[in-house]
Amino acid sequence: MAEAVALTVSAALNLAKDTLRAYPLRIVGEISGFKPHSTYRAFYFQLKDESSVMEVTLWRNVYSDTGVELKDGMIVELSGHFDVYPARGSMSFIPRHIKVAGEGDLRAQIAALANKLKNEGLMDEARKKSLPWLPERIGVITSANGAAIHDVLRTLARRYPLAEVLFFGTLVEGHGAAKGIVTALKAADSHAPDVILLVRGGGSFEDLLPFSDEEVARTIAACETPVVTGVGHEPDYSIADMVADVRASTPTAAAETVVPARDELEALLAGHLAQMIIPLDQFNLRVDALQQRLEQALPGKLEKNALHIEALLVRLEQAIPGRLARDEMALGNLTERFRGVGSRMLERPRTQLTHRGAQLEALSPLKVLGRGYAAVFDSKTHSVVDSIHKVTSGEQLTVQVADGSIFTIVERTAGVACEESLDEHFAQN
Amino acid sequence: MIMADQTFAEGITELEAIVHDLESGNLELETSLTSYERGVELIKELQTKLETAQQKVTTLLGDVDPAPVEGEEELMS
Repeated sequence: MAEAVALTVSAALNLAKDTLRAYPLRIVGEISGFKPHSTYRAFYFQLKDESSVMEVTLWRNVYSDTGVELKDGMIVELSGHFDVYPARGSMSFIPRHIKVAGEGDLRAQIAALANKLKNEGLMDEARKKSLPWLPERIGVITSANGAAIHDVLRTLARRYPLAEVLFFGTLVEGHGAAKGIVTALKAADSHAPDVILLVRGGGSFEDLLPFSDEEVARTIAACETPVVTGVGHEPDYSIADMVADVRASTPTAAAETVVPARDELEALLAGHLAQMIIPLDQFNLRVDALQQRLEQALPGKLEKNALHIEALLVRLEQAIPGRLARDEMALGNLTERFRGVGSRMLERPRTQLTHRGAQLEALSPLKVLGRGYAAVFDSKTHSVVDSIHKVTSGEQLTVQVADGSIFTIVERTAGVACEESLDEHFAQN
Repeated sequence: MIMADQTFAEGITELEAIVHDLESGNLELETSLTSYERGVELIKELQTKLETAQQKVTTLLGDVDPAPVEGEEELMS
């Protein structure tokens, strides 16, 4: 057998070109690197799966016939054939027809989108916002006519009617639903409620599609307000659920997630009441301890006073709640009793004062004068004259006796050297 | 009322602060009694708020259809 003739590069590529063009193919893959504003006669992009990539050359007229807006990440089915561009030796697929993949492919598309958003970090736990414990305002996004809104309102009213509900109605399925949900999310976020509920009741796979829309997912992620989803029934899982801050299985479950149950709150209040009484009981214990120490410290003589204090302590205890809670008069009574005790406490000092007064009176110089003694003062200086050296002849003196004063003039002075002279003096008078 | 301008959450926060102060054991008896009274008042008010609250719904986008009431179909037909 004769060896094949060696081909030129051009001949080889033309051979490949003819061969490839003879095999029409249908290929499913994800669009990548698509630029919608091409100025060329064709759009150049890639179609890929997990492990391979191929170049696609899409003629402008084929694209406009499709009636579909292509974008990156979209899973499409291309019908056409491969072709070779000899000038560069490159191979490209030339679609004659494009269609967006069907439901099976839609699931794959959703999975691909989920994967993409996950890789972007939109589903990271770290970026998920925590929910407020007691929201004052709750934004609710769902259809205006459906069971979901009523489930949510009923649940919120039953559990925590204090929260105000801001309702944002939107289509939740079919054409325009995704756009409507995005608008509602932005409107709700701009009102800055404490939390947003994005809910809808159960439905078919197609019905729930808007909740796996990429723009809806990105809008949820961009919300300043925490978003809680409750879409469909328990097993349904949408991309909205994955990027939401909290995912609940149903609208009712979503409402339950954002507010506490009423009986939990009532239990909490009752718990706080008990918590307040316990520390107040510490005062009771302290008073008891002080009472014991007082009783031990007081000598028997003071036992009567100790009884007073004991009574006071009992009254103090009565003033301490929870008894106060039952009897608000206790504090008033306590004041009265303090007053009573106060006056009793003064009794002893008062008798002591009377006694001291009597002692003082006994020592009064007036008493001495009463017994016949006199006090002599210098009339000018009013100082006591207790020596002959403090006076001179002719000086005026005031002599104070029990019932008044005698004004007199010094005649002469004499020392008390001899008792005779004094006796003589008395004898003369 | 004492907490007319307070939200439920603010009331709870104040109540928790009172409980915390009381539990710290640093208060005088007089202050304790005042705090306790305030706490009891708050609890009463919060309970009342919870019992008497009426749900408020504001529609900001689209209209909510009234909830289907049993027997309504007969009335309408």
